[in-house]
Amino acid sequence: MIRGFAAAAALLLAAAPAGAAQAGAAVPVRGGTLTVGIYYDVDTLNVYVTAALGDIEAAVVEGLVAPDEHAHYVPVLATAVPTLANGGIELTRQGAAMRVTYHLRPGVLWQDGVPLTSADVKFTWEAVRDPHFLAESKDGSEEVESIDTPDAATVVVNYRSVSPAFASTLFTFGILPKHLLAGKDLNHDPYNDKPLGTGPFMVSEFRRGQYVVLERNPRYWGRDAAGAPLPYLDRIIFTIIPNSNTLGTLIRAGEVLFAPRIPVMLAKQLRGTAGIDLVSGPSLSWSYLDFGLRRVPALRDPRVRRAIAQAINRSALVKAAGGYPRPIYSTVLPVFEDLYDPAPDAAVPDYDPAAANAALDAAGFGRGADGMRTRDGRPFELGITTQSGDIDGEIAEQILIAELKAIGIAAYADNKSGIAYREARYKGAFDLQYGRITTAADPVYSMFYGTHGPLNGRGYTSAAMDAALARMETSLLPSERRTASAEMQRIFARDLPSLPLLSTISIAAKTQRLQGYVTNPTNMTDFVSVAHWWLEPPGKSP
Amino acid sequence: MSLRVLLQRLLGLVPLLLAISLLLFTIVHLAPGGPTDVYADNPSVTPQALAQIRSAYGLDQPLPVQYLRWVGAMARGVWGYSIRTGRPVTTEIAERLPASLLLGGTALALSALIALPIGILSAAWRRSPLDRVLTLLSFAGISIPVFWLALMLQLLFSIRWGLLPAAGYATIGDAGLLDRLRHLAMPAAVLSLATIATWSRFLRGSLVDTLQQDYVRTAYAKGHGTAGVIIHHALRNALIPVVTIISLDLASLISGAIITETVFAWPGIGRLFVESMDARDYPVLMGLMMLGSLALVLANLCADLVYTVIDPRIRHG
Repeated sequence: MIRGFAAAAALLLAAAPAGAAQAGAAVPVRGGTLTVGIYYDVDTLNVYVTAALGDIEAAVVEGLVAPDEHAHYVPVLATAVPTLANGGIELTRQGAAMRVTYHLRPGVLWQDGVPLTSADVKFTWEAVRDPHFLAESKDGSEEVESIDTPDAATVVVNYRSVSPAFASTLFTFGILPKHLLAGKDLNHDPYNDKPLGTGPFMVSEFRRGQYVVLERNPRYWGRDAAGAPLPYLDRIIFTIIPNSNTLGTLIRAGEVLFAPRIPVMLAKQLRGTAGIDLVSGPSLSWSYLDFGLRRVPALRDPRVRRAIAQAINRSALVKAAGGYPRPIYSTVLPVFEDLYDPAPDAAVPDYDPAAANAALDAAGFGRGADGMRTRDGRPFELGITTQSGDIDGEIAEQILIAELKAIGIAAYADNKSGIAYREARYKGAFDLQYGRITTAADPVYSMFYGTHGPLNGRGYTSAAMDAALARMETSLLPSERRTASAEMQRIFARDLPSLPLLSTISIAAKTQRLQGYVTNPTNMTDFVSVAHWWLEPPGKSP
Repeated sequence: MSLRVLLQRLLGLVPLLLAISLLLFTIVHLAPGGPTDVYADNPSVTPQALAQIRSAYGLDQPLPVQYLRWVGAMARGVWGYSIRTGRPVTTEIAERLPASLLLGGTALALSALIALPIGILSAAWRRSPLDRVLTLLSFAGISIPVFWLALMLQLLFSIRWGLLPAAGYATIGDAGLLDRLRHLAMPAAVLSLATIATWSRFLRGSLVDTLQQDYVRTAYAKGHGTAGVIIHHALRNALIPVVTIISLDLASLISGAIITETVFAWPGIGRLFVESMDARDYPVLMGLMMLGSLALVLANLCADLVYTVIDPRIRHG
């Protein structure tokens, strides 16, 4: 079963390049306006400050490298992705630290015409790590000790330690323009409303709560395979639609031509709509059920956690989610081919209600006349916390409640929204918690399962797990990372700090006129490749 | 109400608003979490950096100190900066207020134009087939959930007939009046439906009571027709409870309509409130709630003034 899933994931990955090749067959048309519907409010357009995924920012601001549709890094403003093999990464201090060298792409201009130089890259690091700058994404800035800029096109980054995940952080999010921002207060600068980048599109208008208009950047460095300048589109209008039903209406009415990451419920409604394609792509995200070890003593008994794991029938969850997601049995997603271990002892227990009931009997939770379990005269009740208003999550929660009731555990919904949900999730104020995580192309699992991991709200501690994670996250050697990852998955399957349930996929709704579109599975969003998208003129589509 | 009484009433609002602000401040801070929680789960934000962020917003101070600072700043007209967007709170609110005023104002005007005639007709021909139909429609108006009605209207007017834009404030690049009206039509209709139903029920009830008074019988006895009796004698007295309801609804102009704004992607105050609440953006939340409270107490004061105009007994008593 698990192997079968690995094959399915590979198929999913293979779907993306096929779409790209198909688009390449037609001759791209220039011009046109793409209207995009997004369901979240845009707080700021500074990629380091926003609390949302940066769809708009990805079309405006570029980094040195970026993940492609296979979650592999490709050069953007740099000429190559630094590796040990190409000499871009050198180990220093007897292998305890590293030095990463980037060569900047020649001839890149900021959208105001000023050339991009190594000083901008160094400024980005200085600005982001400045404690006065109140930013959400400071990842990777503390690991850097210093940056040298021997010439305008060369950047040498000296790291304090070996940091294999360096490519998913700082310089990938985006480079900040030194000539515009040096000496400014980044917390209140107009840049946050109208960022200046090197990307294919420029912000021309931002109306809070309504829309953001992007215009084609005539100075963009990118060229297509035929040598013609990119991007193809003239304009992109991002409209903020806070309600998913309304978004569906706008897609049907043709007012919105593209909507990324739509809820599964909306995808089910839009299925079969004329002129609309639903494109599903792999997503580096999974849904899970977390055990509140801090709050519920009964859950500290591994037999009870195992019983809960065996109570859950993932196929019911898949069905409720429109058949889109895939069941998973490891926290390392099968799409990470270099790290995923398909061995049975690296997998968490599958559905087995008889075994679940036997385990709960053995743990002293007897069943009453109503079928519900009690111990020492007290009912076995567990609240499940998920984000209120997240339709997909609330539906999954109802299924989990029913499945737990089937083995005699009185489960109920205990949902929270916004900061209150975040607080419960990361500080452990829950019995059970259902949620989803999306990672970068190079996930750092110690954040979730390390004793001091900032996202380890459940309160799981294991010295063996910490050691395996440390080995996995400080090595640049693929073989060593693979071994450490396999060990981590075995400890995980034994300890069950959390229960991985489904590998979620991302679904985008797009007009059939939109060509050249490829999905991106990482947290950098589909818009990383927006320079290559183009629109067939209306009326041409079948 | 003399000028002196009015001034006294206005002065009385100051301690009232202070008490409201203390209550709101306490409730907002009782809700779990805080604005810096977005940084708390980020390994690259060190505890020192987090402390710096908290101190930058004064969040490291004891709550009473934070409250006194906030009151002091508000008294000087300084509303502070949004923690979520880094922009001045006044700018955030000023950007959203026109949309809410336009939507709410249109809805209230529509409500008054439709609800008052319905209420009068129902009361004048009470227990007639017309009254029963209007009563049924009113209860439907009160009972239909706003979001459902909104979806149905979008389905019919945008998808099936393609007559109106499904959502949004205006077409980008089109500042014309007609475009604005086309965007306004559905949200204003949805928002006014429940108000029309409530107001017309109140007016009907109040008018039916008034029509049973002795002086109304006297008016009939003097030979006035139904229309004359209602317009010249009964309506003025029957309006008092309706004025109370209308004044309360007037205050909602400033606090926005959360559901209608969300379903129609209308960029108003209601959505700003929800977004700020989810992020625990204290400065914006306090600004919005104080503005809403101010509107409510002022609307009540206005209602009191209107009572004195329509009922001389209140003026002289």
